[in-house]
Amino acid sequence: MQGTQPRESWLSATDRLAPLLMLAPATIFTLLMIGFPFVYAGYLSLHKLTLGSPTPPIFVGLDNYFKALDDPVFWTALRVNLFFYAVGLLLELVLGTYIGILFGQPLRGVAVARVLAVFPAVIPSVAIGLVFAQMFDPAQGLFNFGLRALGQRPLAWLAAPNTVLQSLLLVEVWQWTPFIALIVMGAMQTLPTEPYEAAVIDGASGWQILRYLTLPLLRPAIVVAAMLRTVDLMRIFDSVYIMTQGGPINSSMTLNVYAFTQGFLFSQFGYASAIMLVLLALTALASASLGALRRRSSG
Amino acid sequence: MKRIALFTLLLAVLLLVACATPEPTKAPVPTAVPAQPTKAPEPTKAPEPTKAPAPTSAPAPTTAVQPTKAPEPTKAAEPTKAPAATFDWKQRAGDTLVLYLPQHPWTTAIQPFFPDFEKQTGIKLEVQTFAEAQLRDKVLIALQAKSSEFDFWMSLKSREGLKYYRANYYELLDKYLADPKLTPPDYNVKDFAAGPFGGEKFENKLTGLPIIIEGPVVFYRKDLFDAAKIPALKKIEDLETAAAACMKANPGITGVTLRGDPNAIAYTFGPFLRAFGVNYRDANGKSQLSSPNGLKAVEYYTKLARDYGPPGVVTYSFAQSSALFGGGNACMEIESSNELSTIVDPKSSKVVGKVGVMPYPPGPGGDVPTVLQWGVSINANSKKKEAAWLFAVWATSQEMQAKLQLKGIASPRSSSWETPDWKAQLAGDALRAEWAAAVKYVAEKGSGEVGPPAIEQPTVRKIMGDALDAVILGQKSAAEAMKAVDVELDKAER
Repeated sequence: MQGTQPRESWLSATDRLAPLLMLAPATIFTLLMIGFPFVYAGYLSLHKLTLGSPTPPIFVGLDNYFKALDDPVFWTALRVNLFFYAVGLLLELVLGTYIGILFGQPLRGVAVARVLAVFPAVIPSVAIGLVFAQMFDPAQGLFNFGLRALGQRPLAWLAAPNTVLQSLLLVEVWQWTPFIALIVMGAMQTLPTEPYEAAVIDGASGWQILRYLTLPLLRPAIVVAAMLRTVDLMRIFDSVYIMTQGGPINSSMTLNVYAFTQGFLFSQFGYASAIMLVLLALTALASASLGALRRRSSG
Repeated sequence: MKRIALFTLLLAVLLLVACATPEPTKAPVPTAVPAQPTKAPEPTKAPEPTKAPAPTSAPAPTTAVQPTKAPEPTKAAEPTKAPAATFDWKQRAGDTLVLYLPQHPWTTAIQPFFPDFEKQTGIKLEVQTFAEAQLRDKVLIALQAKSSEFDFWMSLKSREGLKYYRANYYELLDKYLADPKLTPPDYNVKDFAAGPFGGEKFENKLTGLPIIIEGPVVFYRKDLFDAAKIPALKKIEDLETAAAACMKANPGITGVTLRGDPNAIAYTFGPFLRAFGVNYRDANGKSQLSSPNGLKAVEYYTKLARDYGPPGVVTYSFAQSSALFGGGNACMEIESSNELSTIVDPKSSKVVGKVGVMPYPPGPGGDVPTVLQWGVSINANSKKKEAAWLFAVWATSQEMQAKLQLKGIASPRSSSWETPDWKAQLAGDALRAEWAAAVKYVAEKGSGEVGPPAIEQPTVRKIMGDALDAVILGQKSAAEAMKAVDVELDKAER
């Protein structure tokens, strides 16, 4: 017995160390890849740093954040962000759930539709943006050609402040609704059949089955889809940048595009970092509230 | 178990791949194959010289450049002769230069000659090409870090020159130019047109050497003008009357397409301002946009855009305008001289053989077009400045510029426009002759002020562009919008 004791304690020491050692690479990687940029952005946001300026970064405290409060473009961008988030998410969820439920039915052509539905989500947003920008062109685009053919008045689409947001939203909804539909369809296939049988025996109508059975059962899947889209909609960048760069006259400016413009076009990295951190806080907030909802729905 | 084994195998493969891949933070350095844009982290395909990669870039203006075949005329493939027997081109033999170049017609046109340079000087060239915007970001970050990772790059002085000069990013070149050991006796610096050469100077210090020039000009449909009996444009006001007459004769057509994109509008708007007799700033540096003549220019330009321009003009830059005009849907296009090749590209154009080109017609206050030059500069932190200078001198020599001119690169050297080869190219080609005359006019008379003078060019151009767009869209009056712009521009650092 005595002879085995040191071996045991050695074993228990390795047992204790092993998890730490195994976790270490991931932890270090996370700290370096997420922690460092975050801390550095925080540092930059407290400084006035103009790339290409001979002066070194100057500590300005919270000035960059106060500057944002006074900056009308920042507020426009915030409003645009919230518009995309609220309206975009609502449309995508409603349409996506509807299409997802349809996809779950044994209808003719559904298999083909399911395959087609994957495409918008896997095509890079840059490519989609370039194609839609051409189709939206008021003079030469496909959409106005269609409107004229139908005898309607052509629209300015991306070129007018009063139609640009709706046009961008159209692309966003076109691209991401099928993604939600696929998630909902996946969930539909895992639903138990017993409650439905019981509902039919109890004489529930189709609407009642949908309202009181299908939707509540799908709720966890819909909340997950909403969380995924929340993060993407809040940090919307590529399609907006490709199609309008925030124009005309900043009317489609989002916080992400504005931060990029301030940083890489105007070289104001301190201000750009401050805007990005505000966006990060907003995204975290939106995501956390959905997380709470998810816990409530699963609990 | 099977799954775990598979997973482990996959992990091992991934690790192997990760180990075999070069470090992501290091720029991929291509092996010294100079004529190929090897392994740039951008799409490596050589840019088609017929398409403009960015607003200010310069597509080859003629069909002379054929991207598919090696653009070396037999004569050009000969190694460049040493212009003077006494000059020692081999003085830096053994050095390796790293060049950062944009995907640009100049890059495409000169790359086939790089082996000649290597042979002549013993200096190796490593070329990395990037899309213009990426090049700008990469260069700026390297310069800010005082890195010597590259020695030589192409810089757009009207946009970034003053800022980089103040930050000491450019190696100042006056001392190299004055040194007979480093500059061949037949370099002939006086041959450069004053506008583009002056554009490479800040506070009278030379920061680069010009390589290509361009300027906004007026492209117009000769066939439609003739059919509607529209007289030749003599003064700037004729733009409006011609647009109106052409639209009346051809229902549904756009009268004139021009820039409305706020980041790009300064390039085509600037000459209007000077045509009405004001510069961006007066002698005291005060912004002049809301001065009486400034307002006349703003009102005229925005009226052209609003009443005779395409729908959605506020999003228009070179690409949209040239697509519209090239598609036969506009009577006139006000754009960079470099757009010619796109406009009459036989693959996409419907207006081949129907186009004329001319400089901006003069206005009541004068006639000063805009000239824009790209230049080559040396990184102030380079460790091989003398070798880089030798390359700059070789690339901008009279002989090389004349060769590039034949490939459609509008030369900043006067001599390139007078060579027998160039004149022979123009003979029998009315459009190219008109184009050449317009570019030459721009080079000789043009001002290098593209946007309002300020260190942060992108910022001030956007401020002005947004305000012009507000007037085009009828959100504000010219006076109201420009007063606010003047306040902002007066605050901008210069």
